Amino acid sequence: MRDWEALVERQLNDIALEPEESAEVIAELAAHLAESCEELRKQGMTEEEAVRRTIAQVEDWQKLSWLIQTARTKENVMTNRVKQFWLPSLLTLLLSMGLLMLVQVFGPNPWVIARKSAWSLIAPVAVVYLPWLFSLPIIGAMGAYLSKRAGGSQRAMLAAIVFPVLPYSVFFLVALPVTAIFNDRLGHNIMFLALFVGLLAWVVAPAAALLTGGVLAQFLFSRRSDSRRTVSS
Amino acid sequence: MIRAGVKRGTAELAVLSILEDGPLHGYEMARRIEEQTKGALRFTLAALYPMLYRMEQRGWIRGAWETSSSGRRRRCYRLTPAGKKKLSPLRREWAELFGALRRLTKVSHA
Repeated sequence: MRDWEALVERQLNDIALEPEESAEVIAELAAHLAESCEELRKQGMTEEEAVRRTIAQVEDWQKLSWLIQTARTKENVMTNRVKQFWLPSLLTLLLSMGLLMLVQVFGPNPWVIARKSAWSLIAPVAVVYLPWLFSLPIIGAMGAYLSKRAGGSQRAMLAAIVFPVLPYSVFFLVALPVTAIFNDRLGHNIMFLALFVGLLAWVVAPAAALLTGGVLAQFLFSRRSDSRRTVSS
Repeated sequence: MIRAGVKRGTAELAVLSILEDGPLHGYEMARRIEEQTKGALRFTLAALYPMLYRMEQRGWIRGAWETSSSGRRRRCYRLTPAGKKKLSPLRREWAELFGALRRLTKVSHA
């Protein structure tokens, strides 16, 4: 008995669909070919002739691959983008903002890192809300889960994970430098330090926390789908 | 034999109409269409599946894996409410077109 699935998989190896989706397409087309071949055999054809006639149903596999890919993705670009990127991103952003507000109102005092030096009065300090920081891996994992569940690519998942630090990045990388340039009342030596400390406390540390949870979740999902694939094969 | 351009236009109508009777998998769908149109409409695998996936994306049909009594797994397609809604105007459009062509050919043959 011919392995139709192996044949279709070989022919559609360059199809740009998510692994689960392409496995589904391969299984469906293989089932169709198997049934066509069986029907031709029932009509009295030799095995060889039936296989030849069945395979002849597809003249150009590359074209078929492209047609299927287009049919399954083109009309859904916006919806997919919303489901795979915007929805998880906005949800993680909202959750992280909401949680920060709750921690600020009800949580313990923030951890303030200040330099004990002669100029500590003017030196920039980092205000770190530790409970918020420790909750970010869960939010990152949630962003990765939502994006993955909607069939998001690695890029979409990573973007959804770190999206909550976007407002802080904009503030420290755009707003603060622009203010420093146009406001001559600010001491530029302090501004540089403030930028550096703020970036560390509000962008680098939260991004690292979000990524810890998100990447770990992503690793768990990929292990789970690998084991599923092993079981099904 | 009907030409390819006209076939493309009628293909969606054919699939929606055949699914109106109940869910079918791709192979059976192609077989029934060919049988009921006496071979005028014939779907190869390469023609059928891109169209089915496109119609599924549009929400007109929905596919789900089912296992037959012989143990074979097949993806069966059924008409969605949106597909049912799409069927009537499509039928009307094609009926109008064929009616117009009939009238036209009668005039030209007269």
